[in-house]
Amino acid sequence: MDLILFYLKKLFSVFKNEVFVLPSRVVVVLFFLFVLLLPVFTKDPYLLRIFILTSIFAIFAASWDLLSGFTGQMNFGHALFFGVGAYSAALLNLHAHIPPWGSIPLGALVAVLAGLIIGIPCLRLRGTYLALTTLAFPIVLMGLVFAFPDFTGGELGISGISRLTTSRVSDYYVVSVVMLGLCTIMWKITDSNTGIIFHAIREDEVAVRAAGVNTTRYKLLAFCLSGFFAGMAGGLYAHFMRIAGPANLEVSMSFTVVIWAIFGGVVTIYGPIGAVFLLFPLLEFLRFWQEFRMLMFAVIVLVILLYMPDGLFPWLRDKIEKECPRCKIRNIALRNTCRICTAQLDK
Amino acid sequence: MKKGKVLGIVLLAAFLMATVSFPAWGADKIKIGVIGPMKYVQGIGHWNGAVMAAEEINANGGIQVGDEKMEIELVKADSNEFLNVTDATNAMERLVTKDKVNFVVGGFRSEAVLAMQDIAMERKVIFIGCGAAHNKLCTRVAEDYDTYKYWFRMTPTRSTFLARTAFIHMDYVAESLKKALDIPKLKVAVVAEKAIWADPMVSYAEAYIKGKGMEFVGAWRPSPVATDVTAELSAIQRSGAHIIFTVFSSSVGITFSRQAGELKIPAAQVGINVEAQKDAFMDATQGMGDYAMTSTTYCRGVESNKNTKAFVEAYYKKFGETPTYTSGTYDAIVYALAPSIEKAGSLDPDKIVDILEDRKYKSSTANIVYMKDSQGRHLHDIEWGPGYATGIAIEWVDGKMRGVWPYKWKLTPDSPKVTHKGCVPYTIPPWMIEKYKK
Amino acid sequence: MGLIIDIVITGLISGSTFALLAIGFSLIFGAARIVNLAHTAFYMVAAYCIYVMTQKMGLHPVWGMIIATVLVALLGLISYQLFINPIREHEGAVLIATIALAMVFQEVMSLLFTGTYLSVPALIKGYFVLLGVKVFYQQLITFCAALLVMTGLWLVLMKTKLGLALRSTAQDREVANLMGINEARVAMMTMGLSVGLAAFTGAVVVPLTILEPTMWMHPLIMMMAVVVLGGLGSLKGSFIGAYILGFAGALVVFLAPMGSFLKGPVALSIMIVVLLIRPEGLFGVSFEEER
Repeated sequence: MDLILFYLKKLFSVFKNEVFVLPSRVVVVLFFLFVLLLPVFTKDPYLLRIFILTSIFAIFAASWDLLSGFTGQMNFGHALFFGVGAYSAALLNLHAHIPPWGSIPLGALVAVLAGLIIGIPCLRLRGTYLALTTLAFPIVLMGLVFAFPDFTGGELGISGISRLTTSRVSDYYVVSVVMLGLCTIMWKITDSNTGIIFHAIREDEVAVRAAGVNTTRYKLLAFCLSGFFAGMAGGLYAHFMRIAGPANLEVSMSFTVVIWAIFGGVVTIYGPIGAVFLLFPLLEFLRFWQEFRMLMFAVIVLVILLYMPDGLFPWLRDKIEKECPRCKIRNIALRNTCRICTAQLDK
Repeated sequence: MKKGKVLGIVLLAAFLMATVSFPAWGADKIKIGVIGPMKYVQGIGHWNGAVMAAEEINANGGIQVGDEKMEIELVKADSNEFLNVTDATNAMERLVTKDKVNFVVGGFRSEAVLAMQDIAMERKVIFIGCGAAHNKLCTRVAEDYDTYKYWFRMTPTRSTFLARTAFIHMDYVAESLKKALDIPKLKVAVVAEKAIWADPMVSYAEAYIKGKGMEFVGAWRPSPVATDVTAELSAIQRSGAHIIFTVFSSSVGITFSRQAGELKIPAAQVGINVEAQKDAFMDATQGMGDYAMTSTTYCRGVESNKNTKAFVEAYYKKFGETPTYTSGTYDAIVYALAPSIEKAGSLDPDKIVDILEDRKYKSSTANIVYMKDSQGRHLHDIEWGPGYATGIAIEWVDGKMRGVWPYKWKLTPDSPKVTHKGCVPYTIPPWMIEKYKK
Repeated sequence: MGLIIDIVITGLISGSTFALLAIGFSLIFGAARIVNLAHTAFYMVAAYCIYVMTQKMGLHPVWGMIIATVLVALLGLISYQLFINPIREHEGAVLIATIALAMVFQEVMSLLFTGTYLSVPALIKGYFVLLGVKVFYQQLITFCAALLVMTGLWLVLMKTKLGLALRSTAQDREVANLMGINEARVAMMTMGLSVGLAAFTGAVVVPLTILEPTMWMHPLIMMMAVVVLGGLGSLKGSFIGAYILGFAGALVVFLAPMGSFLKGPVALSIMIVVLLIRPEGLFGVSFEEER
């Protein structure tokens, strides 16, 4: 009993000192609560479906950021991992009768393999060359899909895949918990040694190499990790929609994820996640204005880019938080002095 | 300030959720959802057919459901299925959960319809397909009757029947060529867009051609949206083909007919060319699409049964163009749903399904009977044969669409001749006559 | 023998189409380091303009071409000033902005013209027979246009002051600025030139193809493959890369008729293979990372 009280008090003090001090962290906590408690407020299957898809695409977008944001290797063919994950999970499920909790991770591993296959040629490429080459890979794979329709189902795709779980609400919980878990893992990766090296590679690869780090290995690692998470998203998508088709490999899928990630803010994991949660329901919400939907979406993106070229969430974050010039700790913008080192916060 | 921000976010979220959840309204009407690619001709056809049906029925007060007469209310849903299958499934889900429609008609792209079908079946909403031909949509009914019994196909006939009809058209053209040009052995080239529905057609076509004693010179598979097929046409011309069997559903049909006409390729086009079914075909081919022949369902001047003329002329008057097969939503509502609802006396889907699957009725073009498979299980697919749904074939001559089949058609040598009123004989392209006439 | 002539002629003609597009794209990339993914979207807008002018207003195709080129070039300049210039420093943002711009064009075209397939009459109708192969006059026009544009551009780049400014900005932006070249104005004029080229391509190529709101996607991919293969920023590279991929496509169609839909993936595979061997593309300049 006392032990529980002790831990509760500890939790409370952690919250008071670490979480509530910064509005961005409060938002994260609220976000977690929102995602986990949504089914309590509404059982509407349409709404739950929208948020399930949002969570899946959030994993997808965050995985792109892990690769392209952090290591600077602009990947315009991210749909490849998504499609490979979806098709592998579908094939494993249909032919080997592996249930979803097995076929999805295995599908993701196949996507890791794909990551290696495209990572190796891309090692020597830089910038735009890399972007355009990565664009080519999903198209080549789509050609292969059409060339072997007996195996891959051609443009009808593979259908009749088993569901994730038995009900919409439990589907939602599975997907949301997986999303929160995977995104936390991605966040932790970026906060770790590996993440720092990724970031450094983006800033100046030559310097990193000069520091004695094997950048090749890290770049490939980025491809593989990103492939894994995107593959998970693909597998979840296939099992939720119960169909895996060439639409998962389309160029528009690759472009859309890049738009989300840059809109939300690269080099942050929370940026793309927030962007997807904002934009995807918005796109659905605009459905009552059916003809203008995509147009308004594109215009919104353009306008945001004009005023917040670093992305929406870093801009927002800069508005509500300030960085202390002396100790580099973030503070809420309302403060005059830093909470840790009491230096003056105003310039 | 901080609290204000948080409050603001919460309010925004609540606002978003509230506006997304539009409540369903109008409790005393029958709600029919029309789902299709509304920015494209196919979806427009879906919607127009449904609008015509609803207006006609509501003008008579509505449908008699038990004691009361209920009017029809249509709900339009843009599936965007050409660009995005996810969108299509979201649209279907919205129709059946948010808008709470009683019935759904429409659908076009088989890949999307397979997914949309699952959603409708889950909610036990009757979904009448008016555009997708894939066999699997109906074999699912036989394999899992309890889940999929709420699905019926209205148009077109299933792909195997579409293929059979197209081959019969090819026979017809072959006969005409043999009689007029006295060619001993006809050569046939097959050009099918690279799409999964066309794959089995290519192999069946090859087998059929050889079985009929004609020579198969090759199969070309351009992309469904190919914008240049001069390479394929050169190769076909070099092969000396007399007949080109086309299997097109997409824009390649326009490109092919246009370039074949411009290059005056001496071969007769016959088969399936969905773009050639539309009035806009002549403009799209810059006037070069003459002598293209394709199977289709409607043509002004052709009467397939006693209902056809009224429907086609009314459609043309209202919308300014000939209906395409996706306007079968009219048939679905007027001939399939309405009488079944009246007979059932309620909107209960199970009762309606039981009544509808055993009904034999006349649609705007044919006698409709729902098939069973070889094991006697319901398929909810429409029967094919003389008098049943076979569709017609049209040929473009002098810039106009003309019905050319069935014209004195015999299914077997002993069957009676079938001609739909208004059909005329096939016209051979003049440059072909020039080349081959001795 | 007939097969080989077929392949050569088909390859030349599709290569010319790619070349016209790729040259415009390379220009703006070389001079201003802008990856204009909306390049083919401008081409699409020009095509629709010509459609409106010839079909709806009954103008002669040549007038249609001229007006369309001018209009679309203006559109390009306006879009550049409004959307791209402010964010030129952020490469990633520019990429997204151009994609979003392309989507805006697609949606607007879709709203104005719906998804129905449309077409435009040829400048010179009919065909002639060359070495046993039937060739449309319009295809010949495309081929000549590609050569014309290439020569014209070469003349402008080598012989005029503007060309000199372009070349120096392409080589090193900052030094060009130091030398007194108004780099921002050069970028703007290059943008106009590049979009004008895209519009001209639309005018010349569009009678051979079908108009619909997503028609910009496929040429975009092929064009990027060409540009990457030839080497970014190199006009000569784009020109040669275009014909290589054009021939590759023709080979696929003629030698593997069952696989003619594989034109795109095969071209891209060639591009990947070349990049493996030579990461800068065939004629690309391996430039230092700019600080």
